[in-house]
Amino acid sequence: MRTAIPVGRLGIAALVIAAGVPFLCDNYITDVALTIVTYGILALGLNIVVGYAGLLDLGYAAFFAIGAYTTALLETLLNFNFWETIPCALVFAAISGIIIGWPTLRLRSDYLAIVTLGFGEIVRIIAVNLDITGGPNGIYGINPANVLGHDLTSPKSIYALGLVVLVIVLVFVIRLGQSRLGRAWQSLREDESAAEAVGVPTLRVKMLAYVIGALIGGLGGSLFAARFGTIDPTSFTYAQSVTILIIVVLGGRGSIPGVLLGAIIVAGLPEALRFLNLWREFVFAVALILLMLLRPQGLWPARLRRIAAPSADEAHHVPHAEPAAQIAEVTANEPETLLEARNVSRVFGGLKAVTDVSFTVHRGEILSLIGPNGAGKTTVFNCLTGVLPPSSGSILWDGRSLTGLVPHRVVARGLARTFQGIRLFNNMTVFENVLVGMDHRFHVPLPAELIGLPFARRDTGLHYAACRNWLEFVGLSDKAGLRAGDLPYGDQRRLEIARGLAGQPRLLLLDEPAAGMNPTEKQSLMGLIRRIRDLGTTVLLIEHDMLLVMGVSDRVIVMDRGQIIAEGAPAEVQANSRVVEAYLGTEEDDPEDGPVGSISEGALA
Amino acid sequence: MTLLAIEGLRVGYGKVEVLHGIDLTVGAGEIVALLGSNGAGKTTTLRALSGLEPVRGGRVSLGDTSLVGVPAHKIAAMGLAHVPERRRLFAPLTVEENLKLGGYLMREQTAELKRRIDAMYALFPRLLERRLQLAGTLSGGEQQMVAIARALILQPRLLVLDEPSMGLAPLVVRSIFGIVKRLRNEGMAVLLVEQNARQTLRIADRAYVLESGSILVDGPASALAQDPRVQAAYLGGVAA
Amino acid sequence: MSEFIQLVIAGLTTGSFYALVALGYTMVYGIVRLINFAHGDIFMVGAFIGWTVLTTLAATHMPWGIGLLLALVVAMLLTGGLGVVVERFAYQPLLSAPPLSILITALGVSLALENGVLLIFGAGFNTYPQLIGSEGFMIAGARITDIQVGIIVLSVVLMAGLYFFVHHTFIGTAMRALAVDRDAARLMGINVERVIQITFFLGSSLAAVAGVMEGLYYTEINFFMGFVVGLRAFTAAVLGGIGNIPGAMAGGLLIGLLEAFSAGYISSRWTDVIVFLVLIGTLVIKPTGLFGERVVERM
Repeated sequence: MRTAIPVGRLGIAALVIAAGVPFLCDNYITDVALTIVTYGILALGLNIVVGYAGLLDLGYAAFFAIGAYTTALLETLLNFNFWETIPCALVFAAISGIIIGWPTLRLRSDYLAIVTLGFGEIVRIIAVNLDITGGPNGIYGINPANVLGHDLTSPKSIYALGLVVLVIVLVFVIRLGQSRLGRAWQSLREDESAAEAVGVPTLRVKMLAYVIGALIGGLGGSLFAARFGTIDPTSFTYAQSVTILIIVVLGGRGSIPGVLLGAIIVAGLPEALRFLNLWREFVFAVALILLMLLRPQGLWPARLRRIAAPSADEAHHVPHAEPAAQIAEVTANEPETLLEARNVSRVFGGLKAVTDVSFTVHRGEILSLIGPNGAGKTTVFNCLTGVLPPSSGSILWDGRSLTGLVPHRVVARGLARTFQGIRLFNNMTVFENVLVGMDHRFHVPLPAELIGLPFARRDTGLHYAACRNWLEFVGLSDKAGLRAGDLPYGDQRRLEIARGLAGQPRLLLLDEPAAGMNPTEKQSLMGLIRRIRDLGTTVLLIEHDMLLVMGVSDRVIVMDRGQIIAEGAPAEVQANSRVVEAYLGTEEDDPEDGPVGSISEGALA
Repeated sequence: MTLLAIEGLRVGYGKVEVLHGIDLTVGAGEIVALLGSNGAGKTTTLRALSGLEPVRGGRVSLGDTSLVGVPAHKIAAMGLAHVPERRRLFAPLTVEENLKLGGYLMREQTAELKRRIDAMYALFPRLLERRLQLAGTLSGGEQQMVAIARALILQPRLLVLDEPSMGLAPLVVRSIFGIVKRLRNEGMAVLLVEQNARQTLRIADRAYVLESGSILVDGPASALAQDPRVQAAYLGGVAA
Repeated sequence: MSEFIQLVIAGLTTGSFYALVALGYTMVYGIVRLINFAHGDIFMVGAFIGWTVLTTLAATHMPWGIGLLLALVVAMLLTGGLGVVVERFAYQPLLSAPPLSILITALGVSLALENGVLLIFGAGFNTYPQLIGSEGFMIAGARITDIQVGIIVLSVVLMAGLYFFVHHTFIGTAMRALAVDRDAARLMGINVERVIQITFFLGSSLAAVAGVMEGLYYTEINFFMGFVVGLRAFTAAVLGGIGNIPGAMAGGLLIGLLEAFSAGYISSRWTDVIVFLVLIGTLVIKPTGLFGERVVERM
């Protein structure tokens, strides 16, 4: 992974100006700049939750409060010095993040918003009502930070500290964005169920966003406490949480320059435009509405992050990165029977979508599942991949049960799937989509990845090379840097397949891959399916295009009305009269033209 | 007399074009079938007709009026009744409430509406027994009856049915098709979308076969029933 | 015992406000799956409109009954209209956008309403005229005042009216149908956009009544009063089962009682915390609420 931070000339200029402020400006302006810096830190933290992971948090001030009160209390009650309080503040903020996050991150986004709002209020109310936190008056007499014997009390010195913290947080956040976790967050934001279905542990990833956001909020709080020497509950209100949110949304969710710009505007501008004070909040509120209606991506939208794919040469020189090697790694010593479905049924309310379906999937075959509309084929797929639990019956993989596992765990066991309506991460590049597909195989711990330790970089190198080779395998290597949503339809299908293959699946489930393709594209798809099988991955296919199914399959299973009605080689199945009936209808007498009264008797079973 | 005329209809989602220029007509007093395997574009055609899906190109007219760009609730007022795929009843509402909503556009005319609902109960006595039951608790066949009755309350000129046979036992399908024939005999224009080709071709007057968004073949139903291309479109090859 | 009854009476009174406001949350959520953040502020606007009417009429020496009626009607109509305007211009364009966008917009509307009222009326408290006396009568040792009776009775009447509307009129039935399947409703000839606007109108006007009543009861209103009431009413809607109308009514009364008991037996400082814990607890333990539908994502 590249360790360079993409700063650009604008970034360097901004940094130089920022560093120069205490030398060039008076205390008042330095103070304003420090406010901008503080909000900048907080907004970068909230950006992880709202911008990266897409979770609406309306109570972010709670973490700010926890950091500030921790520092304040430890200093005043236990005589810690500032630096000693920081790890404690971080720990408490993280713990509170876990406490709120754990029960609530399963909720839909709208509920999450209200619950986080509630939590923010709870923290504030506790601070106001407990004596130990000083009640409504807060805590005063907090010692300033001390660096090398000097107390940082002057605005300029505190500003310098703040700027250093901002830069540290900035580097951290940028590295996060480039990491596997950053990709996971973006995929989550793009399409949560698709992310889950390609192996992203969505719940855990949401928690991490929350906790890391909490850490940064807590850090901001500690800094805040040391800056003023006193804190009180009025700094940690709902209005504060909303202000930080406005910064993130106004600047551009997920965009780091955007967030910083937002901080400058929201925290800095009102100082410059004092006379607008009373109107300020109203103007921001209206701006928020207009923004969502007209320019939801914010003032400085996040750019399409481009992780450059390695060149063909580089990629082919990395050992074990070839598709064949990737698949061989997982298919050595495979049992003859890969997957076994036993008496699987799935009921929705009163409707029996799938009844008593049993079949096996053999190593190395191409097996197709066909049947008329409403036969239950996608429901079977959903049961196999963990999207829906079967109402009864069991699914065995490698002899062990697969039933009831969440989709990302099913993927970890070696299955992968594509969707009927293509579900790519549209705002990510082609290359990144494939990277996400492979991310669950990447086991380097996050800190190692962020720092860029050698073993982490080697792993990443393998990862990148393998994914690029998969793109080549499906014929998309020249489009690696394009935005996935801009690809033509046929290419999008192939990308989805590449994303699935990147996870080194032993069984690939394709749900109507030929839908919407023209005959030439279908031919090339058939070739691709055969090549996948030749690598060693078993393929299970749902399709409606009979020519494709009959041309590519080793075996065919036919479903109708939730049950299996035929199974065998393509030619057998085509000739099977029950199958023909299911698709075309029966050879029977005409429907009666008799009196309509006959409808009421028995016929409407 | 042609009631529904579709010319060069194109419909798509984002980058994908699903219908590549369809031509189709339906006249009063005839049953026209629209056949094709799944994914061919049948439901999309019906949704575009009813105003649920935006039309990218082509002409659609009911009588003299163009339907393109007209919102769905206004198309319903023009005499087009669409019975959607999988019924889509309002499950937590009673059978009676579902029927009443079928007559939403004539809600002011209480007496006439009541007369028409009673007429539906006469046509489907089973529903009268179940009128206060929640629609979601009915069997598949009964739900299909409610869906059709609901559509007939406004006495539409054109009845559009999307796979009414789906998920229903053959006997039930037969009785439904019987009703459709009777409606045709009384002068209604019917557009029937089905996967179940053989049974459908037996009651239809004319049929079109859709494949991958284009009409593959069309003509009198009896001719199509013998056409090997129809079978091939479904089964990808010559079968017994 | 008499203290208990006194608390019950207080609880039912404030519970009536929460129930009326909760109805707005629940109806809107039922048909467009949106938590209307601005709804609490709509309640607040209703209170201010009522105040404006009453203080304007104060000079005319109109009989208080007619003045109050006028205030209620004007507040209902104007606030209902405001709800429709917000829906039409801020929410409708975003109904098919990602859910996060519409949530943020709702937040924007909420802030705009709060700050708009702040700009017009200032940050202080405005006082409602004392219209209804505080005498009343005694029940089992507890006093129930005229105003409390008035509030509870009016709320019951309105809730019964809404229930009748939703279950026995065509538009009400259309609302329930919309909540199930919007496209199928369109095929019946139902103008879905119009019905959604009517829903917003109803919810907002009920909130306006609650606003005026709160003004009469507590006599002081302020631009930020919608925040607390909004959150408690939302909790009530969730407790009752969001999307479920009788549930919202029951939930409102329960939260009102909870508030009264919390203030009476613990301390009013902790009421908010207790109410939030009820909210979080409901969502985690029994997301369907007492009568309603699932809110948890099925992965």
